[in-house]
Parts: sequence; structure tokens; C-alpha cells
Amino acid sequence: MTVGREGHSQVGSGAATRVEAEPSAGSAIRISNVTKSFGAPGHGPTVLRTIDLTVRENEFVSLVGRSGCGKTTLLNIIAGLERPTSGTVEIHGRAVRGPGQGQGVVFQQHALFPWMTALRNVVFGFRDASLSKSDKQERARELLQLVGLSAAADKYPREMSGGMQQRVAIARALALDPEILLMDEPFGALDELTRIELQQELLRIWEARKKTVVFVTHSINEALALSDRVILLAPHPGRIERDLAIDLPRPRLRTDPRFIALHEEIWKGLSS
Amino acid sequence: MNRERLTNIALPLIGTLIVVAVWEAASRLGAIDPRVFPGPVTAIAEAAGRLSADTVGEHMAWSLFRVFSGFALGVAAGVVIGVLAGWYRWFGLIARPLIELLRPIPPLAWIPLAIIWFGLGEPSKFFIIFLGAFFPVVTATYHGVTNVDPILVRAARTFGVGGWSLLARIVLPAASPDLATGIRIGWGLSFGVLVAAELIAADRGLGYMIMNERNTGGSVSVIIVGILLIGFLNLLTDAAIGSAIQRWIGRWHGSGV
Repeated sequence: MTVGREGHSQVGSGAATRVEAEPSAGSAIRISNVTKSFGAPGHGPTVLRTIDLTVRENEFVSLVGRSGCGKTTLLNIIAGLERPTSGTVEIHGRAVRGPGQGQGVVFQQHALFPWMTALRNVVFGFRDASLSKSDKQERARELLQLVGLSAAADKYPREMSGGMQQRVAIARALALDPEILLMDEPFGALDELTRIELQQELLRIWEARKKTVVFVTHSINEALALSDRVILLAPHPGRIERDLAIDLPRPRLRTDPRFIALHEEIWKGLSS
Repeated sequence: MNRERLTNIALPLIGTLIVVAVWEAASRLGAIDPRVFPGPVTAIAEAAGRLSADTVGEHMAWSLFRVFSGFALGVAAGVVIGVLAGWYRWFGLIARPLIELLRPIPPLAWIPLAIIWFGLGEPSKFFIIFLGAFFPVVTATYHGVTNVDPILVRAARTFGVGGWSLLARIVLPAASPDLATGIRIGWGLSFGVLVAAELIAADRGLGYMIMNERNTGGSVSVIIVGILLIGFLNLLTDAAIGSAIQRWIGRWHGSGV
């Protein structure tokens, strides 16, 4: 966990200092000088400008910002689903050239295949050709158990609640045994209670499986409840506004004065 | 629920019985001329006198064989072209206007060409029936493929699935509810053009049976029974296809087609 960086504010290229400060061995994701604009160069809107960010192994990082700050675009670039206009993204030192290079993705909508049962959706996630069909099924059942859905293995997505669907989506992403888990507002469409429940589940899974997580959210509370680090993005063009270490022990209480202070700080950062 | 099911079965039966009863009564009371429109009892009795069950069965079997062959060809071609046109933009740009140009032409209008191209044998009949199935299937498949939720494709790509595998494992299943609609409509249209197809120098089949009776100045009863048999066969096979579709996509898609 990153220590003693509270309140340490960085704007634009300031993030480059961070990269030098950290040994490259421990970095899971290294984003260097990434810019993304749509349309013709110099004419279309710039969604992201000169993003530099390093995420360390097993770190839980949240990207927070208003709509239009490019947080989802940044996630998609790490996922290899979109290409940056310039700059590079490396995962464990390997340049990202497309999806399926060790990035597991969970989307805001569950994105499960509706014609497959929960179990078959998770089985789909196993891309390892050396696994037999029964091995995959057995491991898929283990993953469903991990997300608390053993009983729903034979249900189809439409027969499940929103919370259950997202649990299956998480299990499916874990089936890939990804080095990094990318989550794009995964709980954004859920009701408050289910949302908190799944946040706790996610922390439990993250601690059990030790993954590097990049989590996009527009909820300050959610970012604070989960993350080691919160990255504040500012819009037009999307850029890193602040990089906050959240050095609070888990489980975190929303009534903790430090939690409230951090909430206030992020809120100020977002509204400036 | 049970009561509702009973009503759902009983009401159509009662409706049919009432229509048949009115038809019979009208004929017996002399409201309709039995020489051009005999009542149901007379029609069936007369038809049974002129044709043996074996003969009728043979006509039915040939008609079903033709409908099924033409339909199968139409579905195969419709799915392949529909998927390619929906998935590959350039192919869609070429194929779509052609399909839209040919789609409104009634299969009947193709009969002269069918005879020139395929002769008087079975292939020309398959071709006419093929047209009945092809257009609904190709249109529905194209629609289904272009409307696949992009999030499913993105999700599949995050697992490194792409190319043909993406098409076969994600796009086609995702489009299958639309495909099922096309198949259902295509089956009905294939049946609809059956008689027309069997106008082409056929010597067996229900269409032939009907037209032959007319041409040889035979019995109106045979024509009526022949027409009803076509309707009846379509009803049965459509129900079979409907329940197959229900088993295929019903559980995950929610409703049948």
C-alpha cells in the first residue's frame, strides 16, 4: 500500500515524477503519455491528454471524475478495447496491443451472454486450451461459489437479479485468471444495499485472489470504501487532477472522521 | 393458469366448430349452391369416394418434401447471406440493395424464369419455394446481426475471442431470436407458394391434385378438401416449429416467437 501521499496533488506531467519514484518491478500497469482524441488529429475533441499513471501489483486504484473526464475511455485503453492516439500502456512490461492479454473486464451492464447459464458463462471465461471441459466446469463451480452463487449455476441471466448478474460477471472475468481486473462502474446500476454488499464481496475476493484492480466509479463513497489510491480526473480534456493515497485500514467506516475528511477533499477536488 | 390454458385451447376449437356448423347448415338449407360449394360432410364424403387415402397421402408427402427442401435451402442461404451482410459492412452495402430490389417480387413472377433455368422437374419447384423462405430469413438475420448488443461483442473480445469464432459463438446465438422469427415467417410463405410451385408441370402434390381436378372438370369437393389439407398441414408444422423454437430460445429469451 502506498503510504504518506495524502494531499499530494499532481497536475499533468507531475505524475511523471511518480513513475521515477517507483521501482518498475512492482508495477502492474504503466500508462505513459497517453492521449486520446476522436476524429481527425487536431480537430476532434481530446478525451484524454498526456496521462501518466503507474499502478502497482495488487493495488486497488479507483478512477473518479465527472462524466466526460475520460475515465471509461482510459479503462478501455488499458483493456485494449480502444487504442490511444499516442502514448503507451504496458501490463507487466508488455505493451498492450489488444484485449485478451491478461486483462479481465467487468462492465457496468452485466454483459453476460443471455443464451448461456451462469455456469456456462463462467466456463466461457476459461480460455486455457489445456483445460478439459470437465476441469473448466469444476473450476467454474468453484468461482461461482467464491461469488456466493453456487445455487444459481443453472440459471439464465434473465432469471437472475442485477446483483447476481454482476457476481456472475465477476466470476467470468476471474475465470480468465487475469493479471489485472478492470471494472467500469460495475455496481452503478445496482440499488444501494446490493451495491454495498457487492463492494464487501469484491474486497473479500480481491484479498483472497490478490489482483491488481482498476475501478471506475463516480461515487466518492465507493472509491473510498474500496481503494488504496483514488485518481481524480478532470474533464475537457481528461487529465489527472489529483492522486490520493487512501491509507485507512479496512473495513472502512463511513463515519470515521478520516473517511469524512478524505471525502471532503475529493469532493473539493471534483468541484474545483 | 390451468383455467387459462383450457380457455386457450377450448375457444379456438369452439370457434372452428361453429364455422363448420354454419357452413354445413347453409349448405343443407340451400343457402349456398352445393354444386359450387358443397357442405363439409358432402365434400369429405365425395373426395373420399374419388381418391383413396393412399393417393391423398402420397400427394401430401410430395408437397411436404418440396416445401421442406425449398425451405431448407432458403434458410441456409438466408442465414449465410444475412450474417455476412450484417457483419461485414462492405458486403452489406453490396447485398442489401439487391435484396431489397428482389424481395417485393412475388415468387409467382419467377415461375417462367424458374422453368427456363431449372426445367420442369423438381429443382424449379424448390426454387419457387426457396424464394418464399429466403427473403424473410435473410432480412431477419441481417436485422438480428446488426442489432447484436455491442457490449456482448466487447465482452467476448476481452476473452480474446475474435474472427469466425466471435461470429459463430456470440453473434449468431445473439441474433437467434430474430432468426427464429424469420424462420417462422419463411415457413409460412414457403407453404403459401406451394400450390404455385406445383403448377409447374407437376404430376403429384396437393397443388397438382387441386389444379388437376379443376382442369379435368372433376369434383369441387376434392378442391375444397385439398385446400383445407394445405391449411391443416401448415397449421401442424407451424406448431411443431413454434415448439422447437420455444425449446431452442424460450428459456433464455423469455418468450417464443
